[in-house]
Amino acid sequence: MMCPESVLVLLAVCLPLLYPAMALRAEGARAMRYVMPVLPLPALMLALGAEPGWQLELPWLLNGGLWAMDELRRLFLLLTAVLWTVAGIYAVGYLGDHHRRRFCVFWGLTLAGNLGLTVAVDVGSFYSFFALMTFAGYGLVVHEGTDEATYAGRVYLVMAVLGEMAILAGLLLASAAADSQLLTDLPAAVASASQRDLIIALLVAGFGVKAGLPLLHFWLPLAHPVAPTPASAVLSGAMIKAGLLGWLVTLPFGETALPGWGALMIVAGAVAAIGAAVLGVCQRIPKAVLAYSSISQMGLMVLMVGAAMADPGRAPVLFSVIALYALHHGLAKGSLFLSAGVSLPAGIMRRAAVWLLIALPGLSLAGLPFTSGALAKLAMKEGLSEDPLDFALAGYLSPLMTAGAVATLLLVLRYLWTLGGKLENRRNPPMLAAGWLASVGVSLVAFWWMPWEVEGLVKSPVWLPAPYQLWALVWPMLIAVALAGLTLLVARLVKQR
Amino acid sequence: MTLNAWLPVFALMTSLVAALVIFALPEKGYRLRTAVNLGAALVKLGLVVVMVWGVFRGVDYGVSFTMVPGVAFALKADALSMMFATLSAVLWLLTTVYAVGYLEDSPNRSRFFGFFSLCVASTMGIALAGNLFTFFLFYEMLTLSTYPLVVHRGTEKALKAGRTYLIYTLTGGAVLLLAIAWLHGVEGDLPFREGGHFIDADADIHLSLILIFILLVAGLGVKAAVFPLHGWLPQAMVAPAPVSALLHAVAVVKAGAFGIVRVVYNIYGIEASSLLGVLEPLAWLAAFTMLYGSVRALSQVALKRLLAFSTVSQVSYIILGVCLFGPVGAAGGLVHLLHQGIMKITLFFCAGNYAETLGIHRIDDMDGAGRRMPGTSLAFTIGAFGMIGVPPLAGFITKWTLGSGALAANMDWVIAVLVLSSLLNAAYFLPIVHRLWFREPNGSWPRERRWGRLETNAWLFWPPLLTAVMTVVVGVLASLPFSPLSWAELIVLREYSP
Repeated sequence: MMCPESVLVLLAVCLPLLYPAMALRAEGARAMRYVMPVLPLPALMLALGAEPGWQLELPWLLNGGLWAMDELRRLFLLLTAVLWTVAGIYAVGYLGDHHRRRFCVFWGLTLAGNLGLTVAVDVGSFYSFFALMTFAGYGLVVHEGTDEATYAGRVYLVMAVLGEMAILAGLLLASAAADSQLLTDLPAAVASASQRDLIIALLVAGFGVKAGLPLLHFWLPLAHPVAPTPASAVLSGAMIKAGLLGWLVTLPFGETALPGWGALMIVAGAVAAIGAAVLGVCQRIPKAVLAYSSISQMGLMVLMVGAAMADPGRAPVLFSVIALYALHHGLAKGSLFLSAGVSLPAGIMRRAAVWLLIALPGLSLAGLPFTSGALAKLAMKEGLSEDPLDFALAGYLSPLMTAGAVATLLLVLRYLWTLGGKLENRRNPPMLAAGWLASVGVSLVAFWWMPWEVEGLVKSPVWLPAPYQLWALVWPMLIAVALAGLTLLVARLVKQR
Repeated sequence: MTLNAWLPVFALMTSLVAALVIFALPEKGYRLRTAVNLGAALVKLGLVVVMVWGVFRGVDYGVSFTMVPGVAFALKADALSMMFATLSAVLWLLTTVYAVGYLEDSPNRSRFFGFFSLCVASTMGIALAGNLFTFFLFYEMLTLSTYPLVVHRGTEKALKAGRTYLIYTLTGGAVLLLAIAWLHGVEGDLPFREGGHFIDADADIHLSLILIFILLVAGLGVKAAVFPLHGWLPQAMVAPAPVSALLHAVAVVKAGAFGIVRVVYNIYGIEASSLLGVLEPLAWLAAFTMLYGSVRALSQVALKRLLAFSTVSQVSYIILGVCLFGPVGAAGGLVHLLHQGIMKITLFFCAGNYAETLGIHRIDDMDGAGRRMPGTSLAFTIGAFGMIGVPPLAGFITKWTLGSGALAANMDWVIAVLVLSSLLNAAYFLPIVHRLWFREPNGSWPRERRWGRLETNAWLFWPPLLTAVMTVVVGVLASLPFSPLSWAELIVLREYSP
C-alpha cells in the first residue's frame, strides 16, 4: 500500500514531466498554456500538507532511487512550487504567439527538474533532475531568439556544462569515498576522504555556477534579463536556489571544521554581496539590476554557508536560517521580476497602489519591518552573531551584513528608478495581473503561515519587530536612502552646470 | 544432441537461411522479401530471448565439431554472448524495418538485403563463437559481407571507400590470424572460458603472451577503430544510412570491441592480463582514442562524418572499461556495448531521416528542422544527450559506472578523461541540438519529400523513436533485472568468480 505522500510526490514530478506530451496534438498545444499554473500544484500540496519524514524507495530507478523529505527540503520544495505556480499564472497572460508551444515544453521540463531535485535523496536522481533543469532551462533563456538571448544562452550553456562536469566528478569521488549512492551518506564520507579538498572544490564550483558565485556568475546577469519575464522569475527565485541546495546536501557540514573553506566562502560571499551591488547600480535595464541583486543576495547566503563550514557546531542553526532566507528571497525576488512586466493603470490612486505593491517586496529584501525580510535579516544576524561562532573571520560578519543591507536597498531603488521610465500605460492582461498580485501576496502575507523555523533565534517572530530591533533594521536603509538622494542631487547639480 | 545444443545453431541459421532465400527471390518480390526479412528477424529475436532466459538460469548452450585435429568449430552461449546477440537481434529487427523504408524504389534491393542478412548472421556467429578460431571465421565473413553494403551505391566515392575498408579490415584480419596461429602454437586450441586460461602461465612464455596480445588487439582494433587504425571508418560513411547504422552500432566496430573483450576475459583472463601488464597501456590508448575521436568530430561539417568520429570515441569507452581491473569498471565497459549501440543507431537513423526527407547532409542545413520533423529531432536530441552522458540516459549509466570502476581500480586519471570527453561531446552535439530547435530555417530545404500525415515515411519514422525510448529506458530503469547494466553485472560476476 502506497502512502499518500508517495502518490503525491510521483504526481508532483510526473505531471510536469509528461505535460510536454500535450504538444503532440494541435488541440493540446493550444490548451497548453492554460495548464501551466496547475503543474506545480501536487508539489505545493506535498510541501504544505505532508509532514517531513516520509520517504519513497524506487529500487529500479538508476542505481537505486530514494526520494524523501526533511525540513530543509520541505522549504525548498515549497519555495519552488509556490514560485512556479504564480509565475505560471503570470505566464498565461504574458505569453505571446512566438513559439509558445516550445516555451511550454521547456517550462514543464525545467519545472520537473527543479521540483525533482528538491526531493531526490539518491545521487543518480538528484543529478538527473539537476541536469534536466539545467538543459531545459536553456530553452527558457534563449526563447526570444534575439541576438542577446542567443549570446546569453551560449554563455549559460557553456558555464552550465562546465558546472555539470564539476558536479559529476565531485559526486563520483564523493560517492566512491562513501561507497554509497545516497546523498545523506556523502557529507560524513567527504569529511574524512583523502581527497576531501578536491571534492569540496569540485562541488563548490559546480553548484556555484547555478548559485552565482563570483567569477562563476557571468551567465546570470546575461540570462536573467533576456528570458521571458515569468522565466526570469523562476530562474532568479527558484533555480538559483538549486545550487544552494546542492551545497547544503553534499558538503560536509557539521562533520568537521573547515576554516580554510569557510574563509574562502565568506570572502566570496562578501565580494558577491558588495561587488554585485556596485555593478548592479550601474545597469540600465531593470531586470539586469535585479539579476545583480540576486547575485548580491546569494552572496549573503554564501556568507552563511561559509560560516557553517567553518564552525560545524553552528551548522544546524545556520541551515534553518539559510532555508528561511532562501524562501524569503525567492518569493520577494520572484515578485520583483514579475513586476517588471506589468503596466500602469489609469488614475493616480491606482498608479500609486501599483507602485506601492511593486516596491514592497523590494523593501522586504532590504529588511523593512513587518516583512519577511525583517525576519530573515534578524535571524541571519542572530545566526551569525559573533559570540557562538568560533573562527577567525567571525568578527567581520556583522559589518558585512550591514553593508549588504545597504547594498540591497540601493539596488532596489535603482530597480525602481530604471523601471519608472519603462512601464507602459495600458491595461494588464487579467492573468498576468493575477499572477503578479499573487506573488506579492505570497511574499508579503502568505509567507507568515509557511513552515519556516526560527526557534531560539528571533523572539516572537510573527509580531516583528520588537522596538530594540527596529533601529537595527532601519538605519542601513536610511543610509541607502540618503546615498540615493545624494546621488540624485549630485546628478541634478552636474546637469545644471 | 539435445535441443539446447542446437539452439545457437538455429539462431545462426535463421539469418543465414534468410540471406539465401533473399538472394534467390526476384528483385520485384518486395512483399515476400520484406516478409522473409522481418519474419527471420522476429524468429531470431525469439530464439535469443529463450537463450537469454536459459543463460540467466545457468543452462549450457553449446555445440562443437572438430574441423581438423586440434581445431574445433564451437558455438556456445554464455552471458557475454547473449549480450552481443541481444544487441544484434533487437537492432537487426529495427534496422530491417528502417532499411525497407529507406531503400524504397532504389535498385539492387535483393542484393542489398541478402548481404544485409549475411552480415547479421556473421554478428550472430561472432556472438556465439566458442573459441578464437570460430570467432575468426565469422569475423572475416563479416568483412566480406559488409563490403557490398558499403559500396552499395556504386559511385566512385563509394568504391574508393570500400577499397580503403577492405585494405584496413583484411590486413587486420591477417594480423589476427597470425596471432591466433601463434597462440595455437603456444597453448593449443583454447575455448572461451570465464576466468581465462593464463592465470598460471609459466614465466618463460610471458613474453610471447604479451606479443600475441599486442597482435590480437592490433587485429581486432582495426574494426574497433582504435587510434591509429580508425582511418576506414569516416570514409565508410558513403554507405546508405541503415548500413552506417548497423556498422556503427552493432556489426563492425562492435565485433572488434567484442573480440577484445573476449581476448581479455575469456582467453587471457582479467587477472592474467593485469599480471602481464597489458591492460594499462591499452587503457591509455583507449583514453587517447576517446579524446582524439571527439576532437576530430568537432571540426566536421557533414553530419554522418561527425557521427563516425563520435563512434571512434565511444567504442573506446568499452575498451577502457575492459581495462579497468575490477568488477565495476568491467560492467561499465560491457554495458556500453549495448548503450553505445542503442544511442548511435538512433543518431544514424535520424541522420538518414534528415537526408531522405529534407535532403540534409550538412550540419549547417539543419537549422529549424525540429519544427518540420519533431519526432526525428526529439530522437536525435535524446541520442545526443545520451552520448554526452547526461543523466538519466544510457550514456550516463556508462559514464557513472566507468568512473566508479576507475576509482575502485585506483585509476583516478580516468575521471579527468571522462569529464573531458563529455565536454567535447557536448561541444559538438549541443550546437546541433540548438540548431534543430532554436534556429529559424534557412528558407527551403535542400530536397524535400512528403509522405502523408507523418513527418516522414512511417518505416523511417518509428525505428529512431523506439531506440530513443530505449535510450531513456535502459538508463532510467538501470537497476531492473535484465537491464543492460544488470546483465553486465551478471557477466562480470561470472568472470570474477568463475
